[in-house]
Amino acid sequence: MYSSIVRIQNTFGFFTTVAFCIAALIAASDFFSPRAPTVNSLKTTSVQVVRGRPHYYSTKKEEYAIIKFSLDADLSDLFTWNTKQVFVYVTAEWPEINGGNTTNKAVIWDSIITSPSADHLTNLGPASKKKLIKSAKGKSIDKSRGKLSIKNQRPKYQITHPTGKVASKDGVQLKLHYNVQPWVGPLTWNQDKHIGLWKALKNGVSKSFKFPAVKAKDIPRA
Amino acid sequence: MLSSLGNPRQAAAQILNFGLVLSTAFMMWKGLSIVTDSPSPIVVVLSGSMEPAFQRGDLLFLWNRNWLQDTDVGEVVVYNVKDKEIPIVHRVVRKFGDGPEAKLLTKGDNNGADDTDLYAKGQDYLVRKDIIGSVVGFIPFVGYVTIMLSEHPWLKTVMLGIMGLVVVLQRE
Repeated sequence: MYSSIVRIQNTFGFFTTVAFCIAALIAASDFFSPRAPTVNSLKTTSVQVVRGRPHYYSTKKEEYAIIKFSLDADLSDLFTWNTKQVFVYVTAEWPEINGGNTTNKAVIWDSIITSPSADHLTNLGPASKKKLIKSAKGKSIDKSRGKLSIKNQRPKYQITHPTGKVASKDGVQLKLHYNVQPWVGPLTWNQDKHIGLWKALKNGVSKSFKFPAVKAKDIPRA
Repeated sequence: MLSSLGNPRQAAAQILNFGLVLSTAFMMWKGLSIVTDSPSPIVVVLSGSMEPAFQRGDLLFLWNRNWLQDTDVGEVVVYNVKDKEIPIVHRVVRKFGDGPEAKLLTKGDNNGADDTDLYAKGQDYLVRKDIIGSVVGFIPFVGYVTIMLSEHPWLKTVMLGIMGLVVVLQRE
């Protein structure tokens, strides 16, 4: 009696200790792989403000900003053996004119970029999933997925404000952000400052522009 | 075999020992709760709405203090909706204003639409106090045992039985 129960307990205890130590080492290894993410260009290609309703049954009219943009970025350093996915997102940020220095931020576009090790978990149709898995065949890390080059991208989300007013707001900027999701360990985001081997995201902010008046289409300064 | 039951002193020591283990676990949980300022500093993912980042059964560590910066767009937060029991883990996608009154909108990465339909009736945005923590750390799969226990209640009885048996049979 002494032997069997105590031995099972000891074995299980040893197993969990070893598992947690290895997990901790893997999580710590992230801090020793350098990151130098760079944005080569982030700019709007067209900005439009239209009036619409939040959903089909609503009678309320709101203004929606539709921002098309181009992005060229190199985030390949973010893909290491402990990377499960990188969540890349572009926000539009603009100050409140009357409200002092309060700010408004809204995601206009996002993308989940999985590591090859997490491809089987993605929520894609069977055909595109197969294609995705095939694209990194034989590779456990695919740094090329961090190279983003998208042109004249339509926004995934049309943004508004709780007041329903966005037209003619000035000082709008697009910003690129990322969130690295590890297999185990801390979640990390883009930084403003260098921390250890991780460099701040370079050049991740667009030039400031203005939301046009309702329905008037314009091409802002590139 | 059951000699410990015959010896009241030993039996009492075992009960005490068992109580000590339970209260230590409870103290560590509450201590972590104080450090992170969150009523529930460790949560288990229950749904697939944040896939592929979080699967069911993954363990998330939360942090609920704004020492360095406000809760911001892009953070993955756990929030409670009024009159709903289950906390939800989703990402903040919009933020209007600053400070505790800032209006926050959330969305699951794997969901097509934002969370407006999940909120209470007449509620369009969250505020900071609805949030019980931002996700800072991640361990996969470890929490799956709690999902098993809540979905198959008979497992609870089995586990309690085994634990009781071990306590009774254990010497020292």
